[in-house]
Amino acid sequence: MAAALGYGAAEAWAAFRRNGLMSVAAVLTIMVTLLLVGAATAVAANLRLMARILEGQVEVVAYLRDGLSPAQVERAAAEVQSLPGVRSVALVGRDEALGRLQEALGERVSLRDVIQTNPLPDSLEIALSTAGRAREVAAAVAAMEAVEDVTSGGTLLDRLLAATWLLRGGGAGAAALLAGVALIIIMNTIRLTILARRHEIEIMQLVGAGGWYLSAPFVIEGALQGTLATLLAALLLFPGYLVVVDRVQGLLPFLPLMEARILLPALGGAMAAAGVLVGMSGSSLALRRFLHS
Amino acid sequence: MIRLQGVTKRHPNGLTALADVSLSIAEGEFVFLVGPTGAGKSTLLRLLYRAEIPTSGRVFLARREITRLSARATPALRRQLGVVFQDFKLLPRKTTFENVAFALQVTGTPPDEIRPRTRAALELVGLESRADALPWQLSGGEQQRVSIARALVRRPPLLLADEPTGNLDPRTSWEIIQLLSRINLRGTTVLVATHNKLIVDILRKRVIELAGGRVVRDEDYGLYASQA
Repeated sequence: MAAALGYGAAEAWAAFRRNGLMSVAAVLTIMVTLLLVGAATAVAANLRLMARILEGQVEVVAYLRDGLSPAQVERAAAEVQSLPGVRSVALVGRDEALGRLQEALGERVSLRDVIQTNPLPDSLEIALSTAGRAREVAAAVAAMEAVEDVTSGGTLLDRLLAATWLLRGGGAGAAALLAGVALIIIMNTIRLTILARRHEIEIMQLVGAGGWYLSAPFVIEGALQGTLATLLAALLLFPGYLVVVDRVQGLLPFLPLMEARILLPALGGAMAAAGVLVGMSGSSLALRRFLHS
Repeated sequence: MIRLQGVTKRHPNGLTALADVSLSIAEGEFVFLVGPTGAGKSTLLRLLYRAEIPTSGRVFLARREITRLSARATPALRRQLGVVFQDFKLLPRKTTFENVAFALQVTGTPPDEIRPRTRAALELVGLESRADALPWQLSGGEQQRVSIARALVRRPPLLLADEPTGNLDPRTSWEIIQLLSRINLRGTTVLVATHNKLIVDILRKRVIELAGGRVVRDEDYGLYASQA
């Protein structure tokens, strides 16, 4: 089999060069496909990261009634803590709440000038361990006697989850479609090579050449096209990602973005595997169709 | 070497190429397969190198039944025989030497054996001096000899020839047949399907005549046409 691969590699390289422009066209087309798939994956990965972080930040805020004793407040906090899905409870006293508001308003307005007494209530900031339980926790907390009002990021979170799910699904669907297109293009290019070599194939079959000798040249040529396409796509995508991340973080510094260091190696590996796989499958299929016709 | 038992081959379009053919060819024989076009000569040969399988009946090669041989096992079968065609089937961009070596290359022959064995095959057919020529530079007879060298380079026990002289002039045809005869004398079983009346009549080898897919004559020292 090793000898067959050696033969196959030599023939594949010769065919690749002989096909010249067609090989270039095929490689470029697959490159574009991989580029799109890679970019889509990078975007999806970042969206997943954002979603995860945002989900981790989901909070339910419970505004306590006026006139509660410290003991009652403590009891309320403990009761909330014991609810399933609650990670931590933090008491924000009314004075602290006022201070935060002042900070948010900045220097333009001085609250002390405007109001005599602090209208803000004590509140419990409830961090969740499971973003999906926001609704239940909010409902449970609202039912408590000590609690006046509850807010949660409920609707917003639902929409966010729905959006990311859609993007993920859509991304996967688009990727599959593009992979299919790349496969068809490779099949077409390899078909040309097969037709050009049909005399060799015929004689190989006549003299009883083993299966590997027949298929190796084409499968390797397909893999070659796939690999080259991956290399080119990576060459464009990776620097591109770094540039985009740089720009985006310049505009929106608080946006969490996946570090190139983490994303790119994994993405590169996946793209390489996909490129080679599509290349080899395309040529196998093309050869099989030719032999059975 | 070759045995057919009640072999029938019916094509999907309804045409019967062979009908209940039974014959037996021993090792070392030289046999002419004659008959008009469409009589089933090519089909019979194709059954032997498994380009087709019979509709019914059994086919044996070297005592192994190959009637229902799988496609996967076919390459191994074909390595056991050599086939020569009317149109030579040479690779146009390879030299004489490369064309013959090709058969060794793609069947896993150790690289250091390829050169000497190719040389030996070329010597056998008398083409050592034309080793570097391309097919378009060779005459029809020379091309056929390259084809024969390729068929024999693996030293198979059986050589099949489907109208080997179809594209050749009478004198060249005679040379080719003489070559086949010499090869046969060295021990290779040779089966030649042919239209060439003259050659058959001169050589007086065993003749099997097919007509309408049936064996109508099988005689040693036969002539092209029935003597009756």
